[in-house]
Amino acid sequence: MSSVFMPLTMAQGPLPELMSSVTLYHYLFVSVAMFALGLIGFLTRRNLIVMFLCTELMFQAAGIALIAFSRFHLNHTGETFVIFVLTVAAAEAALALALVVLLFRRKDTLDGLSWTDMKG
Amino acid sequence: MDLPLSPILLYAGCALGALGVCISLPREKISAYLIGSVIAGAALGLVMLGLGLKNPDALPNLHFYLFSFIALAAALRVITHPRPIYSALYFVMTILASSGLYLILSAEFMTFALIIVYAGAILITYLFVIMLATEAPSEETPDALTQYDRVSREPIAATIAGFILLGGLTTMLALGLPNMKADPALAAGDRQLAFMSKKVEPVLKQAGLLKAGEKVVPSRVETTAYGTPKDGDATLDAIKIRGADGKERLLPRAEWPKDLSLSNTEGVAFSLINSHPGAIEIAGVILLMAMLGAVVLARKKVEMDEAAMEAAVKRQRSGGLAGMGDDELGVDGPFAAPGVGEGGAA
Repeated sequence: MSSVFMPLTMAQGPLPELMSSVTLYHYLFVSVAMFALGLIGFLTRRNLIVMFLCTELMFQAAGIALIAFSRFHLNHTGETFVIFVLTVAAAEAALALALVVLLFRRKDTLDGLSWTDMKG
Repeated sequence: MDLPLSPILLYAGCALGALGVCISLPREKISAYLIGSVIAGAALGLVMLGLGLKNPDALPNLHFYLFSFIALAAALRVITHPRPIYSALYFVMTILASSGLYLILSAEFMTFALIIVYAGAILITYLFVIMLATEAPSEETPDALTQYDRVSREPIAATIAGFILLGGLTTMLALGLPNMKADPALAAGDRQLAFMSKKVEPVLKQAGLLKAGEKVVPSRVETTAYGTPKDGDATLDAIKIRGADGKERLLPRAEWPKDLSLSNTEGVAFSLINSHPGAIEIAGVILLMAMLGAVVLARKKVEMDEAAMEAAVKRQRSGGLAGMGDDELGVDGPFAAPGVGEGGAA
């Protein structure tokens, strides 16, 4: 019963019929796929704002994995950590967007490639 | 080996998905977004079908498949849409769909926290910055996209890297997860109710399990390294009741009334306050630092000439701002004279 194929069902509520027998692997697959999409977006897009939006996508993927593990272990610790992920995401958004505004004022463009001279 | 789905199907799905994402990324000449997204969607469907075929009971889980499809499709659109504002709006859609997934996993509190904090607050900040930091459209071509929005950088190499990561991670998960066991010692369950005397008392009274003069005593919270009560300790699975004469008795878990249950919010709150009090402090410090950093970074440095500086200093002296630093206050920052602040920015 405690294998990975143990269905993740709702603890309470009237919807167990439809929800049964999706396993932990399903959720982790969705999470990993979303993370990979966020990574591809971060690497390919050149607009600074969209690049930071893609990091938010990766945060979101991590959140799904944490919640799925939390449900798998029937424990609330994973959900608690999503709160901290939200905190870090909010802090990151504030700082990154302030940086973007600063960089935009410097060069009047949001192109990430215009800052390649910082490679040294 | 008991894998959740056949590896050939998984790798075929990964390759097909890579092809689809690669095609749908914005290009110089024609944007074949539609074809690419159809291919990527077919790949996702293939893998999901593979997952479903291996465990046939999993097929009728409409809500999971619906929400995960919406989440991943919107995520694809986030990274492929040439206009940043649409990317941000598609990201809101991803958030809403994944909060649906949270709801299926019975994490109700985080569902609503996610919608309020992410979709409500963080994304609005993004929208503000997109509006603020976008070049003004010219007269003749008001809808023109900038070069860096139209053309993506190294789409093929990035897609290959991303999908190699996806293939590797899913393989590792498929190999590792069957050995993973849900640790019953980690399961919080309703055990935390034994610590919540104020919540338990009225329910017990209604069920007739609490006589007059008796009180529920919160058990001592003993935690292991994981923050959960030690296993096998019978007193931890029972509600402690103290009578009027000071005698204590235990109400074992089997005798608890049926309507005594722990809501998700209470469980998360208990875990947060009981097991991670230090992390809350650190989160507060992180937010404070982010606020300070954002204020310092986004501040406009204003250069003033001599006369304006003198005027600012004079106004500040007379304006009752005693106690603040005199020298640097007039030079930069928000105390500049209203007319001067416009022209000086670099």
